[in-house]
Amino acid sequence: MKRGNLTVGEVVRQGLLLLFGLLALFPLYFSVVNSFKDRVQYAENLLDLPFPAHPENYALAWAQIQGPLLNSVVVTVASVLATLIFASLSAYAFALMDFPGRHLLFGVTFALLLVPEFLTLIPLYVQIQALTLPSNYLAIILPTIAAGQPFAILVLRAAFEAIPRDMLEAARLDGAGHLALLRRIVLPVSLPVLVSVAIIRLIPVWNEYLLPSLVLDERHRTLPVALVAFQGGGAATAVTPNYGALMASYVLAAVPLVLLFAFLMRYYIQGVTSGGVKG
Amino acid sequence: MTALPGTRSAPPASRRGPLARLREGWPAYLFLLPTLLVVGYFSYYPAYVAVTRAFTDWDGLNTPNFTGLENFQRALTDPVMGQAALNLAIWVAAGLLLAVVPPLLIAELIFHLRGRRRQYAYRTLFVLPIVIPSLVLLLVWGSFYRSDGLLNTLLGAVGLEGLRHDWLSDLDTALPSLIFLGFPYIDAFNFLLIYAGLQNIPDEVFDAARLDGATGWRRVLRIDLPLLRPQLALIAVLAIIGNVQYFISPLVLTSGGPGFATTVPALLMYYTATRDGEYGYAMAIAVLLMIVVVVLTAFSRLLSRGNR
Repeated sequence: MKRGNLTVGEVVRQGLLLLFGLLALFPLYFSVVNSFKDRVQYAENLLDLPFPAHPENYALAWAQIQGPLLNSVVVTVASVLATLIFASLSAYAFALMDFPGRHLLFGVTFALLLVPEFLTLIPLYVQIQALTLPSNYLAIILPTIAAGQPFAILVLRAAFEAIPRDMLEAARLDGAGHLALLRRIVLPVSLPVLVSVAIIRLIPVWNEYLLPSLVLDERHRTLPVALVAFQGGGAATAVTPNYGALMASYVLAAVPLVLLFAFLMRYYIQGVTSGGVKG
Repeated sequence: MTALPGTRSAPPASRRGPLARLREGWPAYLFLLPTLLVVGYFSYYPAYVAVTRAFTDWDGLNTPNFTGLENFQRALTDPVMGQAALNLAIWVAAGLLLAVVPPLLIAELIFHLRGRRRQYAYRTLFVLPIVIPSLVLLLVWGSFYRSDGLLNTLLGAVGLEGLRHDWLSDLDTALPSLIFLGFPYIDAFNFLLIYAGLQNIPDEVFDAARLDGATGWRRVLRIDLPLLRPQLALIAVLAIIGNVQYFISPLVLTSGGPGFATTVPALLMYYTATRDGEYGYAMAIAVLLMIVVVVLTAFSRLLSRGNR
């Protein structure tokens, strides 16, 4: 690559991009610096670095959200894994098996993309309350798996169809059944796509607020629900909350995503920019 | 199964009877079973309940009574619904602009940077903000809008003390504050979609445009925008669907107030069910909203196809 191609236009463009990029990240900066301030420091200045720092805010925040953080991890990991397993089985059937009603059933799962969330939210809430589940976690995991199916099946089916047939034929001649084919060839070959789907699905599941706030009891509630509860009833309330501890809880809520994207950013970008999600 | 007389090898699947084919398809149905079960119970059944209960006086517990179009009539004549619908119209229009324009602008700027590595670095920079959980973004912005928040501090710093107030409890500023929350509005997903669209445009097209003297803004208008139509149409449709059903920020930050200034129909649907226990009426609102979504989606599809 050639250096010295810094024309005026190029400098202006990069300046603009840097400015907007940093502005988009500003809420994170704001949360981090203010998470180390006590009430007086917060009231005095919102933007500067805190001296002396107050890391004890983090102990306060951690006490509040360690349970919900763990719940969020359990719910998210279980939902995304189960979404992938269910969707892989279905995508395999749609892509590589021949059976009556194939197109009809695919249409039935695909049509779910058209069912809006607000339509099913309240009936789901009523339905789940009436259901006796072995664990309260399942109250959010099961509907989340269902919600993830159309997107995951759509993308995985395309990936499975693209696998060279010779490869599958050779394995079949060796006597491999469908499950063996799926486990030993189809899934390993499609690993990058599986990771992409997982990580694209993971974001909305981690951020989900409405249904968890309705169906999870206090012991099982997830991070978004806990953050709202911790904040205490909306910005319209008169009492000034302890902002330092609040901001610390926001930072803690972002840590798992930061760790994840430190390693898997590439797969997110590939997943969104490659064919799968195009209209 | 009746094999044709005279055939030696097994007949191809397509020539066998439908019952036999159904029986042979059993592994496939087994593979589909988990998906069909969760989807049936947690997606289709609730949707069915929503649509059918909209015509009843359901309270969420007891057997619903059929009341015909009563709920719909009530929804369409309720003055609160009127205000909520107006709020929604403003929200959808502004949300559409915010979903398309900023990501497009940034994608164009990055795409025309010199050097692949530089493009890659900036692309990563604009995807990075997805590590901020959406609810954290919401709550941090909520704190910006408070009377002791960042917005008022900044206004004070530049000598505009007169404009300082509690943004979310003011009748005139509450709705715009919620809509314009999240500056600079560069949704990672929309941005990547547009960027990928730009990358898919063949180099020859750009070369030809340059020869024709179409550079800078002229090229964006005459080449990029028409060729990005599929991506922009998809983003528009998703933004409409997303904004019509969105009500988390009014729910969390303003409870729909002050008055009904930030109430949208989806929030009304939510409160009608969870707070008032009128599930039948709530479902009627939901069904009306779904009709709006379908009509707007069809309309925008038509529009994006028609003006060619």
